[in-house]
Amino acid sequence: MQKDALNIVVTGVGGQGQITLARVIAEAALIRGINAIVAETHGLSQRGGTVIVHVRLGNADAPLIPPGAAHVLLSMELIEAARYSHYLARDSIAVVNDYLVPPPLPGIKVPSTDELVSTIKERAGSLVIIPATQKALETGDVRVANMMLLGAAIEAGAFRDYIDMSSAEKAIQSVLGKAARQNIAALHNGAELARKAIKQ
Amino acid sequence: MAHREVLSPPGKRVIMLGNVAIARGFLEAGLQFAAAYPGTPSTEIVEALSTAAKLLGGKPYVEWSVNEKVALEAALGAAIAGARSMAAMKHVGLNVAADPFFSSAYLGVDGALVVVSADDPWMWSSQNEQDNRWYGLHAYIPVVEPTGPQDAKEAAKLALLYSEKYKRPFILRTTTRIAHTRVPVDTGEIPVDRLEPRGEFHKDPSRWTLVPQYARRKRVELLEFWDKISVELASFPLNGTEGSGSLAIVGVGLGYRYAREAARILGVEDDVTVYKIATSVPFPRPMAEKILGHDTVLVVEEGDPVAEIQLKTIAQEEGLRARILGKRDNLLPRYGELGLEKVVNALSKLVGKEPPKWAVDPPTSVEEKLPPRPPVLCPGCPYRGFFYALRRAVNKLRLKPVYSGDIGCYSLGVLPPFHVQDTIIEMGGSIGAGNGFAHVLRGDSDITIAIIGDSTFFHSGITPLLNAVYNNAPLLVIVLDNHTTAMTGHQPHPGTGIRAIGEPGYAMSIESVARGVGVGKVLVADPFDVKDSEAKLLEALRYVKEEKKPAVLIAKGACILVALRAAYRRGIKPVIYRVNIDKCTGCGICYTVFNCPAILRREDRKAEIDPALCTGCGVCAQICPFNAFEPVSELNPEWFKIMRTAKPEQ
Ligand SMILES: Cc1ncc(C[n+]2csc(CCOP(=O)(O)OP(=O)(O)O)c2C)c(N)n1
Ligand code: SF4
Repeated sequence: MQKDALNIVVTGVGGQGQITLARVIAEAALIRGINAIVAETHGLSQRGGTVIVHVRLGNADAPLIPPGAAHVLLSMELIEAARYSHYLARDSIAVVNDYLVPPPLPGIKVPSTDELVSTIKERAGSLVIIPATQKALETGDVRVANMMLLGAAIEAGAFRDYIDMSSAEKAIQSVLGKAARQNIAALHNGAELARKAIKQ
Repeated sequence: MAHREVLSPPGKRVIMLGNVAIARGFLEAGLQFAAAYPGTPSTEIVEALSTAAKLLGGKPYVEWSVNEKVALEAALGAAIAGARSMAAMKHVGLNVAADPFFSSAYLGVDGALVVVSADDPWMWSSQNEQDNRWYGLHAYIPVVEPTGPQDAKEAAKLALLYSEKYKRPFILRTTTRIAHTRVPVDTGEIPVDRLEPRGEFHKDPSRWTLVPQYARRKRVELLEFWDKISVELASFPLNGTEGSGSLAIVGVGLGYRYAREAARILGVEDDVTVYKIATSVPFPRPMAEKILGHDTVLVVEEGDPVAEIQLKTIAQEEGLRARILGKRDNLLPRYGELGLEKVVNALSKLVGKEPPKWAVDPPTSVEEKLPPRPPVLCPGCPYRGFFYALRRAVNKLRLKPVYSGDIGCYSLGVLPPFHVQDTIIEMGGSIGAGNGFAHVLRGDSDITIAIIGDSTFFHSGITPLLNAVYNNAPLLVIVLDNHTTAMTGHQPHPGTGIRAIGEPGYAMSIESVARGVGVGKVLVADPFDVKDSEAKLLEALRYVKEEKKPAVLIAKGACILVALRAAYRRGIKPVIYRVNIDKCTGCGICYTVFNCPAILRREDRKAEIDPALCTGCGVCAQICPFNAFEPVSELNPEWFKIMRTAKPEQ
């Protein structure tokens, strides 16, 4: 018997590694015998456009999460976190990268981080913000920021008992192969960042 | 190599993308021949098959064809010669391939032929919303639809086996959420020896030639087949019935998953009978008769009401009075994708159950308060500097251009600040419609500029170019040659000299093709060199205006994503750039007119480079009037070579 569906929306800007993040979550669930279904965005939107990936764990048939029914929002970027915040259910959690990418359209007005955070807070039951991209740049590889977000989400309890650190590590091993080592390190870095963020 | 999991050992449970599962299903069914032209959401099927073929020493035979028509013809030829074959394409690809497709229904095959049509409801990566099950009805070719990514592998396998059994083509119709959804898949045995691409042709003009005397007979046989298969599809292994309640829900294809979960969410599993339909065309008659025995029938399907209309026809023919609901009455929306909220809502009205709050009263989006984020040209894309040069050249000559656009990454030139795509129609339409523009826009400053990518040029740009030469159409054709089919994920094409499984092929030269069809002026520009691009553009534009004949300008520079991958593989890290704040005057050219996403505007209007986004293409350094951009360390000339020449690698 599968557990009730856990609905996770993963968002960000095309190219920030949302699909890999979703794949690792699904793999980590499967390792623990939990069903997973991941609806991805391919094609056009990967050119720096807005991206949403739907991840459903447990007893789920349909690929898409309806607005208002997500238990978790993971976002690699602040504007995109706000854009999809209406997917969140009331008692939900958002784990968001403290990183703002202004859309490169000339003359466009970009909201401030504070405005975006308060928009997300209106929807999310709780919100954890970590500087994943900044930390990833410090470690020399910006591409691992997505695994930092994953580590932070696990630390924050976003996945309940569906996935944990050890299944995530195994999943990274199987999805990322040669690049696993630095990504597992990023996973733990992310957890550390979340501990700091939650303490504050 | 992409999608290696396609060859996972048998007896395992492996997470696979729907398209990879489809590739696996074909392999398990003994596929021998695969041909495709890339197109979202179909592309990964042949990418995965290419990986398999590479690892299995050329079994099955896999190719990227030059376009969908050729892909289908090639697969049909192989199937006539006895091979189990398939051709994959996105929905609009079947429009290109429609001619051989219709003929294939009359001809039949000796091996097997499955045409995969990947439909894209709500046009995530497409120019229209098109339900290709109509093609099945139109051409008398049966349609198999996976009932979700969960059984995509089985559906592909069965489609090939059924085609082999009936010796007729079948369509495998998927939609975006089947093609691009990842689920655990149980792997079966791959009969590697049976994948060997080997056929035998049995001469028989009465079977293989569509002259009227034979075609007339075939038309009659086709209709007989249609009546027979309408009955026999009832036992298709993926069709089925769940529950025994009084309300019938017909879950067609992916619609089945939404129907099933909606019933569970509303707690009405005991009140409904769910009919699971994986063969939507022709609708299996015996199942239809059972379904129409219910008083009320809700049809849930992705796309147009294709099953719904067939059920209504059968009800009329049989004199049955069931109330058939679905899209015709707008209980479910007639455009876009299905969603749980939509199906839960529709079902709740029929069963009188209170739906969850998210289904009736979904939270409102804050979208309108946020800046939009359309896809844009990547930082470092060769097209950015070239479009910049193009606008300068056109302005210098005081021309009034019509930019006849096409489909590829360069379609993104529709956005500000570029505005270099005035029309976007279909692949090849830039030059095709350009012929029309060029003959009727006759003002002194009018000029038609067709902009087409290299892959699109080979796909369907050569014939309209030939037409322009033949009919003296005064237009400038710009071929953006980034050595790849970028939009669909960087597949090779005839210009690259690389074939699907990574083996070398003949590298077709676009210049030679242009000269060969008789273009009098053919120029090559370096899109990463703004001055060179502008000079060549001026020369080509002047030629078209003065000689009133077509000219071709080819801009050759690699897609930066392919270049970056090639550089990483060779251990080369491109040196990125930064802004010398003392030199920057805040004029804004770089972040407005040039519009690189890696260049940000600071509070004081000065520019700033986001190191996470800069690719090190260096074009900003050419366009800044104040030389404010500088590399962060010493430049590596090797990178600048790779940027211009990199090609996709398997
Ligand atoms: C008939 C048809 N087949 C396939 C596609 C999918 N598709 C969109 S753009 C494109 C090719 C683009 O390649 P190219 O012209 O080289 O431009 P690039 O993306 O590299 O800039 C393809 C295959 C389509 N839109 N229509
Ligand atoms: S993928 Fe390549 S061609 Fe497409 S926008 Fe990016 S750099 Fe340009």
